[in-house]
Amino acid sequence: MSHARARSGRSAERLASVGRVAAAALSRSLGAFWVLLALASLVFLALRVLPGDPAALVLGEQAKEVDRAALRARLGLDRSLGVQYASFVWGLARLDLGDSLSRPGVPAFTEVRRAFGPTAALAGAAVLLGAVLGVAAALLCVGPWLRERREWAHAALVGVAATPLVAFAPVATFFLAVEHRVVPLPGDPDSGLAGLLFASGLLAVPLAAQVGRIGRAALLEQARSKYLEVAAAKGASPARVWLVHALPVASGPIAVTVATQLGALLGGAVVLERLFERPGLGTLMLNAYAARDIPVLEAAVVAAGSLFVLAQGAAAAVTATIDPRGRR
Amino acid sequence: MLLPLLPACTVVVFAAAVVLLGHRSPTRLTLYSSWAPPSPSRPFGSGDAGVDVLAIVGYGTLRAIGLALSVAISGFLIGAPLGTAAALRGGFVERWTLRSADLVQSFPTFLLALAALSAVRTPSRWHMGLVFAIGAWAPFARLALVQGRAIAAAPFVEATRALGGSFARVLFRHVLPNVLGPVAVQMGSVAAGVVLGETALGFVGLGPPDGVSLGGLLEQGTAGMLRAPHVLVAGALAVMVVSGSLQMASEGVRRWVSGHVRV
Repeated sequence: MSHARARSGRSAERLASVGRVAAAALSRSLGAFWVLLALASLVFLALRVLPGDPAALVLGEQAKEVDRAALRARLGLDRSLGVQYASFVWGLARLDLGDSLSRPGVPAFTEVRRAFGPTAALAGAAVLLGAVLGVAAALLCVGPWLRERREWAHAALVGVAATPLVAFAPVATFFLAVEHRVVPLPGDPDSGLAGLLFASGLLAVPLAAQVGRIGRAALLEQARSKYLEVAAAKGASPARVWLVHALPVASGPIAVTVATQLGALLGGAVVLERLFERPGLGTLMLNAYAARDIPVLEAAVVAAGSLFVLAQGAAAAVTATIDPRGRR
Repeated sequence: MLLPLLPACTVVVFAAAVVLLGHRSPTRLTLYSSWAPPSPSRPFGSGDAGVDVLAIVGYGTLRAIGLALSVAISGFLIGAPLGTAAALRGGFVERWTLRSADLVQSFPTFLLALAALSAVRTPSRWHMGLVFAIGAWAPFARLALVQGRAIAAAPFVEATRALGGSFARVLFRHVLPNVLGPVAVQMGSVAAGVVLGETALGFVGLGPPDGVSLGGLLEQGTAGMLRAPHVLVAGALAVMVVSGSLQMASEGVRRWVSGHVRV
């Protein structure tokens, strides 16, 4: 009798915890949806509410009024703001914001889809490299392998964290690509995997420095704990003690650091795409900005925003899974 | 306290000297000395179409620091009272202020800048300042919230409330003055962040149209990497020195505040 009650109690508990996780995921995705809608609305409003004629912005001051009126009709700018907003949101839902203005016949979202892959690859590789390098740096700073030179490693971490990507990326490219020809030159269309690895390596450096600093602090907090002493006493090597026992406990702050650095990572990806002339969302947005290609600009900004929001949501989910203390 | 402020003051004085005493405009083209290496008459050499790199560094530095300081100060003036009031109010207001500050701070500034600047025919420094100001209040509000929470629990605040003090009186007369010190420390790192953000925007082409900015100089340096590396080196060093000196100044303010202000 008591067994049955205990069993049903346990399954009820499990159901309740699944419900909690589902509710948290739902509220997080609703929040993400509102953020995306706010960003899209900002782009929509900026192009329509600010003073100035968008058609003149696209066609230039010298354009004839007849051409401007035709463009306005095509972009739907002659309808009321409410109707325009409704059709904008409906277009977003259908993933169809019209054709690109600089390449007629090509839908804006097709261009975005083409550019999404390279940027996601660059950013994804950078996150992986940054996390791995950062954890490795943190372990070097706390473990016994470097002995007295641990302080040098820490000073190097602080120094690298203080160096801005926009300054050292061109200089590093100059030294490695131009002076020593180790990596492909910027703008090389055949750069392939080597180019991707170099670009994502550069992008990973600021992230690795931040992860290294926070990871080092989190690991040092664990350093005096009894359970590590027990593991060492049982004969575990220092590597095992730090990697298998201490690192999982410190991984919560590390995951949070990655999540908060994602915005800066996306900005850095745009800078590097410009530096290396790689195809991607950043290049697409900048070209659309220069050509005043409104449909592509709207679509690309929304796509980049959703990439950011998705990545943040994934990072938050990973954090919650790793560290149950942060779940509630 | 003064020693950490020295680099920042040196940078400002140097840039001001270049602007006031230099006789070369940063936008003057002298095609015959395109990409010329450093020489006695042009200590930093020439860039694309013969612009004087030293002049660009001077003008660009002053613009960057001016923008950074005004954004940091306005962020402080908006964010600190907001965060403190939210801490005092507590509950729903406090949670939502914290959440929106987190969201605004982690959001990529680049996307906001692109969305806002794309609607303007000639983006100026005001538009860029506005874009940065949208996010500048967040770090101040967050820190003020945390500090305000600690002070709101202090006995003297409870006493003021018991004596019938209104919310405004408690906020402005008792809590805010104690919060301002530690929160002001953030101004340096926010300013450094704005300098780096402005440089990144200038590098990708969203900066001032005349190209006189540290980001524009880096863009020129990248384009001329193969034939004139001195432009790139000058630009990179300038950016690192400016942002580094602002960070160091914030360290100095932090040390002074923690030495003089008791929370």
